This record gives sequence, C-alpha cells and structure tokens, in this order.
Amino acid sequence: MEDSPSHDELIEWFSAVALRQDRRAFESLFNHFAPKIKRYLLRQGAPEHHAEELAQETMVQIWRKAHQYDPAKAVPGAWVYRVARNLRIDRLRRQRFYEVDLDQVAEQADEAQDHDRATDQIDGEQIRARVAALPPEQREIVNLAYFEGLSQSEIGARLGLPLGTVKSRLRLAFGKLRKALGEEV
Amino acid sequence: MSIRHHPDDATLVAYGAGSVNEGFSLLLAAHLERCPRCRRRVTETEVLGGELLETLEDSPLSGGGFDAVWARVCTEEQSPAPAAAPSQTTTPPTTDGLPSVLAAHLPGGLEDVRWRTLAPGIKQHVLRDVDSGNGSIRLLAIAPGTTIPQHGHGGSELTLVLKGSFMDQIGRFQAGDVADVDVGIHHQPVADTSETCICLIATDERLRFSDSLSRMLQPFFGI
Ligand SMILES: [Zn+2]
Repeated sequence: MEDSPSHDELIEWFSAVALRQDRRAFESLFNHFAPKIKRYLLRQGAPEHHAEELAQETMVQIWRKAHQYDPAKAVPGAWVYRVARNLRIDRLRRQRFYEVDLDQVAEQADEAQDHDRATDQIDGEQIRARVAALPPEQREIVNLAYFEGLSQSEIGARLGLPLGTVKSRLRLAFGKLRKALGEEV
Repeated sequence: MSIRHHPDDATLVAYGAGSVNEGFSLLLAAHLERCPRCRRRVTETEVLGGELLETLEDSPLSGGGFDAVWARVCTEEQSPAPAAAPSQTTTPPTTDGLPSVLAAHLPGGLEDVRWRTLAPGIKQHVLRDVDSGNGSIRLLAIAPGTTIPQHGHGGSELTLVLKGSFMDQIGRFQAGDVADVDVGIHHQPVADTSETCICLIATDERLRFSDSLSRMLQPFFGI
C-alpha cells in the first residue's frame, strides 16, 4: 500500500484546485480518493459500471465545490466523505438528504465559538488508531451503517439483535472516537 | 433558546452515516438548525466517515480514469465556472419560526396546514412529499391536556417539538427538543400547557398501538 498523503498535503491540493484550478493537484486528489470512493459505492450495492461512473461524478463535484472547502472548518477526508455520501443517497437510494447550511446557521446565530472545530486540533492518526481498536462487534455495526447504508432497525434485523443493542454499540464506538477528538464524552 | 433533549448519539451517527431515511434526515436537519451541540457531533460523525473511507481498499478505476473526469471538468468549464456553483443546502429564511428545511414543505406555515382529525384533540398532517420508505413523517397537533394513545415502536421514532410542549415519562419537551424513542418503549405524551402542542414525528417502521381502542386508530396512523 502506498503512503497516504498527509493532512497538510491534502489541504494544499484542495487550495490549489480551489484557487488556481490546478490540474496536477486535482489529479493527486483523484489518485487518492477516487478508488476509495469507488469501493465505497460498491459496498453500498452499486454495480461495477455504476460505481465507476458515480466515483467519477463525485470527483467532478469535488472539483466544482472545491472553492467551498474551508480548511478551518472541515477535515479534507470528512469533506470528501460528505460529497460521496450525499451523491450516493441521491443516486443509489434516490432520496433527498437534508442538511443544514453550516455557514448560514453560524451567521444567523452568531455562534462563533460553536464553529466546527479547526482542523489543526484533529489528530487523524489517533482517530485511525481508535477506529482500528474498536471491538469487532462495534466495528461491524459501524461498517453496516456507513458502508451498507443500513438503518439501525435494519442492522438489528440483519444481525438478529435488539434495536437497543445496536444503538448502544454505535454509541460506544462513537464515544471512543470522540475521546480521540478531545471531547469530554 | 435552550434545548434540553437531543437525539441519541447513535441516531446522530446514523445520520452522519447517511443510513437514515429521508424523513429522519428532514427532522434531524430541523433540529440541527437550532442546535450547535448536535451540529458539532454530526461534524464528528463525518470525520469518522472520512477515516472509515481511508480504511477501504482501493478499487482502481478502469478505462480513462482521471482523463475521463478531466474531460468532463473541462467541458463544464465553458459554462458555469466552478466558483459560481450554488450550494445545495441554501435555505430560505423562515417567517414564523419554523425550521427552514421544514418551511419548504409547508408553504403557508403552521397556520395553513390542512389537518385531519384522528381522535378527539388529535389532528395530523402527513408530509407525503417526503419519501420515508416503510416509515412516515407527519405533523401532529395535540390539544391541551390530550394524551397520545400508548404505542410501542417496531423501529425508531423521532419527535421534534415545533410549538407548545408535551410531557412524558422521560420529561418535558419544548420547542426544539427531540424525543428519541425506540422499540419496547411505551410512552404516552400529554400536551401539558394551555397551548396546542405541534410536533413533527418521523418513524422508520409502522407504529404499533398497544390497547384495543388505540388499535382502531392504527389505520389512520399507520399510513
Ligand atoms: Zn441537539
């Protein structure tokens, strides 16, 4: 496996795309993210050719929206994930996904201190380690939610678990991640 | 504005994972508009999503790969420049304090809702233009002092208070609060002030009413 680009590298590439429409930076983003996005779409049940097409489209959207990316507010990987997730819901599930325009809300309410955390506080290594260290039964449910798009009730039905158990495992897994983010849980 | 009751963390994770139905996402977005605490948590669920994406193995793109994408980007370049692309999430300002994601579904506001009476003191309006799969999303207007029939849940149910307040075994819920209830929980909310309580309720499965009188209401609730 080749080395993942660092957080700073990713931010550099994003800025180059946003500010200068830099082709090489975009190609670097493509090389890193497109194959993962394609795998994500395959896991969500897209047939091969559709996954390919949607992965391409996700990259086109990333290009188009790059100017909206604000490194002070979002981690690059999380931002890419959102674009992929939203396109997946729109195209594979053919449903709308309602989101809040964070900029607008923040302006309206003038909650400067509640702004989404600055990325320099996020330690990707730590989060990755926490994700890797999740007990298998928690990891399984996290994967079913994120990668198979199953609702909590569907996860319960799939694994033969009560809804309450599904919820508490998700809660526990998330709590561990939040500690890596330095939150008081 | 003080929000006291929030969705369960597990529900926020499901939202960030994109595994909730359309009705849930609408209700949660309506809460998030008012709730910085939960917005931050959702951001964290997306950080988790980003990290999970990194754990996936590569599925190399066949064919043109980057060239195909670059060609598309270049053709789009002719017309609208990337910087001019509108945000998907732009929301209109609201008039009567309705969350803006919801206002889009209620052009006339709460005053203009076409209610249908379900039982004495209980009226509902189903948001039919929201695709909730096996579940549903509806507005419920509960007259002062009225109790919603006891019901259990086949799946999850989220209730967002829009106006007024209600009380159940867990506590008192006011505008902006979310009650996040799941299977096996039997709850009996009662509108506890002199004001009609208006709630938004989303489910991912049909509701189950537990006593026979309530079962007569089933056909109306279980749309
Ligand atoms: Zn909240």
